[in-house]
Amino acid sequence: MKKYLLKCQVNGKNIEREIRPDKTLLEFIREDLGLTGTKEGCGEGECGACLDLLDGRAVNSCLMMAAQAHGKKIITIEGLRDEKNPLIDSFAKEAAVQCGFCIPGFIIKAEELLSENPEATDDEIKESLAGNLCRCTGYKNIIKAVGKVRKKCLK
Amino acid sequence: MPEVIEKFYSLKELWKKLPKLPVDRKYLAGGTDLIVGYNLGISSNECYLDISDIRELNLVRENKKQVFIGAGVKLAELGKNSLIKRWVPALYDCVPHFASSSLRNMATLGGNLANASPSADGVCALAASRAWVLLNLYGKRESKPVLSVLKGPKKNALKKDQIIEGFIVPKKRHKAVFLKLISRAKFGIGKVGICVCADIEKKFVKDINVVLSSVAPTVFEAKKTSSILKYSYLTAKIVEKASETIRTEVSPISDIRSAQDYRREMCGVLLERALRYIA
Repeated sequence: MKKYLLKCQVNGKNIEREIRPDKTLLEFIREDLGLTGTKEGCGEGECGACLDLLDGRAVNSCLMMAAQAHGKKIITIEGLRDEKNPLIDSFAKEAAVQCGFCIPGFIIKAEELLSENPEATDDEIKESLAGNLCRCTGYKNIIKAVGKVRKKCLK
Repeated sequence: MPEVIEKFYSLKELWKKLPKLPVDRKYLAGGTDLIVGYNLGISSNECYLDISDIRELNLVRENKKQVFIGAGVKLAELGKNSLIKRWVPALYDCVPHFASSSLRNMATLGGNLANASPSADGVCALAASRAWVLLNLYGKRESKPVLSVLKGPKKNALKKDQIIEGFIVPKKRHKAVFLKLISRAKFGIGKVGICVCADIEKKFVKDINVVLSSVAPTVFEAKKTSSILKYSYLTAKIVEKASETIRTEVSPISDIRSAQDYRREMCGVLLERALRYIA
């Protein structure tokens, strides 16, 4: 097995690691970097629990090989926590978290949406989060929590 | 599982290194099909070649007569591109129906074609737009109609190491509509997909192309239906005739998503809706 020298930036830190070529990005983030906020749900891209930001775009890390992230900037839920992202507080205040397993994926997706469209409507929020599943079915409060972080609400 | 993974930034680099790489290899672009297979243990190649950052595959450009869409451009980018909106409205209309927005950040049109799924939304829109695919093997290029690359469910006609470089769409003003019948909105595989591209003036159909997905072994061009509609006025009688014809032209199966008869019936219903929107 030929190891791959992966160079990327994770949560603002430059990383250089030799990795196994069969590692997915999800496995690299969780196992090699110990950032376990990114979850594995379905492994097929249908639940969104594994979302991370790759160069600002939310991607399903279970469907990417780690080597594909070479030269890219990755932000995980831990990165958003460290920068005190308002979405995290909003999810807590609006009681949008039940078991919590899906929440990192929801927050990552919402962060992508609001970075691009800070005044997203409720319909745009719903559309954006359509690829994230919550088995506890707490969608109403999740959408409310994202809505509270819109530009007009923060003023 | 892959023993080797290599990343490339240009086609020149790829062709140069290719002879030294393991023969059992797969090309990795968006990964939304290949890595699902890998995670499920279905796909097990010795070598993955990451072509997602190859420059030539990530361009959208135009000349006087055509638009070129790189095979590696992410669908999310295509959904925001002004050239696509203007000249390939079928694809622009199709993108929001294509899986979730996070998967659209990863998935590519090249992968959609290479995967050869009967339900490929992007291929359906490209075929309806009369796109040609540009193939490249060690720098030798050839182009052919998009649907000619499809040989059956999950079977394509690509030669070993032949890369899908991109798609060429003729610049011709027309209207387009893409409709998809699906259980979970914005997600998953459709029961029926239909894309209609047409040049219609005062209800007279100067040109039309009807393409369907999920109702045949491959994405399928409904030629008989299109020929009924072409050079006709869109009267209730003609629409009904076309709707009856399309039901006989398709060859759906019953599976976990839908029943054969329902799919056949809905082809007619969706065609009528599409013609109503587009007229």
